[in-house]
Amino acid sequence: MKKINNIFASILLLSVASLVMASDVNEDPLEREVLDIAAKLRCTVCQNQPVAESNSGLAKDMRNVIKEQLQKGKNEKEIMQYFVDRYGDYVLLAPPKSGNGVPLWIFPPVLLLLAILVAILIMKNRGERHTITPPAPLSEADQERIRRARKAMAESGENE
Amino acid sequence: MMRQVWWVIIPALVILFGLLGYGLTTNPKHIPSPLIGKPFPALQGKDLNGNDVTLRAEQGKPMIVNVWASWCAACQSEHNVFIRGARRYGDSISLVAINYKDELVNAKRWLNRLGDPYQWSFHDLSGRAGIELGVYGVPETFFVNKEGIIVAKISAPLTDKMFERGVSLMSEAE
Repeated sequence: MKKINNIFASILLLSVASLVMASDVNEDPLEREVLDIAAKLRCTVCQNQPVAESNSGLAKDMRNVIKEQLQKGKNEKEIMQYFVDRYGDYVLLAPPKSGNGVPLWIFPPVLLLLAILVAILIMKNRGERHTITPPAPLSEADQERIRRARKAMAESGENE
Repeated sequence: MMRQVWWVIIPALVILFGLLGYGLTTNPKHIPSPLIGKPFPALQGKDLNGNDVTLRAEQGKPMIVNVWASWCAACQSEHNVFIRGARRYGDSISLVAINYKDELVNAKRWLNRLGDPYQWSFHDLSGRAGIELGVYGVPETFFVNKEGIIVAKISAPLTDKMFERGVSLMSEAE
């Protein structure tokens, strides 16, 4: 019994030891911050890829610049401005909400509203077109023709 | 009612397709530089001989800064433009190079082989000076007037015509 206890205790100890000795897997918060900013910047040589995802030399350099500036205590806004001053608004993946960028933000919702409006008008119009006015009652002359035709049909049937 | 709707839809579509069509004719690689009209920044670093240098505009003298690298094929095609330009303008313009993300050995061999029209070359191994100047691809060329203001930035291999155009922009009265 004692032997089993010893084995059990050593297994327990070993499993705890691995936990104690394992190095913490931690993400450098600075690295995270660098990537968060880099995700909002366009890699200027790859046109549609954020700096955070690109492996191009320039994107790597830009990530280094972000890191350095964060270490110097600059905030996100200042760092974004640093790149805008050098590369223009183009470097921002989301266009600015003022100045030149305004039409880009306004146009899609306006287009959507316009599309909804047109759709409503078309549907309304279609509804009107499809209400069928009941035909006018047959005139006495028409009734007479029908009676004659029926009579003729009945007679020809009898002859066969 | 329907007719009125078309009066809205058709012009809207015409405008939309007009803009999209216009977009197709523009070059997505051409990015207007916000640096035009701004002073050329002072850049500290080393030259190709390992000396500490500061690249800055000299007061009273226009400057052309060419960003190149030995690994850049297009740079070779524009190199003779600078050789001819240096011969034509001599000392009246400072013609300086930024050697961008290049090995010293390769850069020096390149200049030995093709000729060195530059008064001196800034060695930007890390690409940091490039970022400071909003460089996104080589070759790029900056034209700086004698007040130290960037008047043009060309992000393409230069031709003689573009070189002359840049020079005339530099000497234009402000």
